[in-house]
Amino acid sequence: MGQLLQYILNGLAKGSIYSLIALGLVVIYRGTGHLNFAQGEMALFATFGAWWIHDHGVPLLFAITLAAALAFVGGGVIEFGLIRPAGKKSPFAVVVVTIGLFQALNSLSGLLFQGAGTGLPFGTLFPNKPNDFFRLPGDAIWRYENVGVLASVLAITGILFALFQKTKVGLAMRMVANNPDSAKLSGVSTTRILMLSWGISALIGAIGGALVAGINTNVNLATMFGVFLLASAAATLGGLDSPLGAVVGGLSLGVVESLVSNYPKDWWASSYVGADTSVAVAFLIILVVLLVRPAGLFGSSRVERV
Amino acid sequence: MNALLEVRSLRAGYGAVQVLHGFDMRVNEGEVAVILGANGAGKTTTMRAISGMIQRKGSIVFDGEPITRTPPHEIVRMGIAQVPQGRGTFTDLSVADNLRAGAYVHKGIHIESDMREWYDVFPRLSERREQKAGSLSGGEQQMLAIARALMSKPRLLLCDEPSLGLAPIITQELFAILQRLNTENGLTILVVEQNANLAVKIAHSVFVLETGSIVASGTADEIANDDAVRKAYLGY
Ligand SMILES: Nc1ncnc2c1ncn2[C@@H]1O[C@H](COP(=O)(O)OP(=O)(O)O)[C@@H](O)[C@H]1O
Ligand SMILES: [Mg+2]
Repeated sequence: MGQLLQYILNGLAKGSIYSLIALGLVVIYRGTGHLNFAQGEMALFATFGAWWIHDHGVPLLFAITLAAALAFVGGGVIEFGLIRPAGKKSPFAVVVVTIGLFQALNSLSGLLFQGAGTGLPFGTLFPNKPNDFFRLPGDAIWRYENVGVLASVLAITGILFALFQKTKVGLAMRMVANNPDSAKLSGVSTTRILMLSWGISALIGAIGGALVAGINTNVNLATMFGVFLLASAAATLGGLDSPLGAVVGGLSLGVVESLVSNYPKDWWASSYVGADTSVAVAFLIILVVLLVRPAGLFGSSRVERV
Repeated sequence: MNALLEVRSLRAGYGAVQVLHGFDMRVNEGEVAVILGANGAGKTTTMRAISGMIQRKGSIVFDGEPITRTPPHEIVRMGIAQVPQGRGTFTDLSVADNLRAGAYVHKGIHIESDMREWYDVFPRLSERREQKAGSLSGGEQQMLAIARALMSKPRLLLCDEPSLGLAPIITQELFAILQRLNTENGLTILVVEQNANLAVKIAHSVFVLETGSIVASGTADEIANDDAVRKAYLGY
């Protein structure tokens, strides 16, 4: 029992980060139907930025905040300067641009930040000494770091949901997502909303990147590969246009990953079964879900057509 | 009479294909004007050209201001609201949020009282405020689409085939509401219809569109007395 709880708790922290990156994907997908393949690398670049700012003597929390704010602006600039012109050509051109951006941001990170290949030390925002944990029934422990990551992500998610549901700009985002033509006819500048969506997506990506780097105590050029893979799986599982689906999808994939990468090891005393298997199992689950429900768990049926 | 909408040599189309071949049209303030035309005549294209949803050439002047190059989200602010063909409600949003969406161009204070006003006119929407628009019947969705357009407080309402797919009794109710909006609220309305009889009854002026050109126009009486038009569009 304690063991199971332990694996679930570990999985929730990682899973919450998948949720965050998945939310970033969903925010963009809802507006345009585009999948942003550069989502992970945009987050990575911002995380290196946070590292650099911190390295220049700025406290970590402020460094991450500043990097996230810059990412917000950067996301808007990317939409305006790259995605919008490409979108006027064809949807396929957008795919090519986001894949190119993926490559470019990764290479640029390697060029700009000395030691990015092997990794740079990254601090955590939460107490992380060996005995910084809550003791739970059955010998399970909940590390403050994992609690902190989960709580931060849930707080950010709560703010995002309030933005979508309670504010005028959130209403405009829902209008554009549901019916772009009627949104225009109601007075929404859809181009401005799309720019904003990319900004928000980049901002929450930056926070997600910093949280991953905090858990790993390190940021390197490969940090976001696996995270992006699972986050896009989470978004697909949740239904691509559903913020709630992204959150549920991310958390459940985090837990599944944790269970799959730990239990076989316990049973067969084999350390061979590990992260790769968990990704495979995660995708197997998604395959099954999509066979049964093509729109994902929470997606509107419009997603089926894509 | 004062022209609220003045269209001159309007040309528009999709990509290289020109659909509207340069016609003139004038809608006076306080009138109901109707565009009649068969399927594919260019009625929807005309509406989309006026509301700025597609590229257009020629001249469109609304209340003395040229809007030929104005984007749609600014045209709404100037006072033109379009109910697109096929309703164009926000199906995933609640009825109440659809109305709030319609009021997007306005500041918050009066929105809730405006909503109450339209709930009085459309009581069935009032009963379904928290329901998703997509779950409403066709007639209710059309009423919602009109109420949503009205929330922007337009001076000119464009309705593209509001009766499409509706039962005759709902269509009658709908036209009664449009007529009331015109006579009681003084709203200027431009309606596109294939279902011509009802439309012509509430109209002051009528335009007949055939393959992108206006082939006849006049007061509702003149048009109803024009044998060729009457046979082709009014069916008697
Ligand atoms: N999105 C579009 N792309 C290309 N051609 C279109 C498009 N919409 C309409 N058309 C063409 O324009 C012509 C007029 O269409 P439309 O304005 O919708 O007619 P109506 O509303 O009178 O039935 C038709 O020949 C139609 O095929
Ligand atoms: Mg039409």
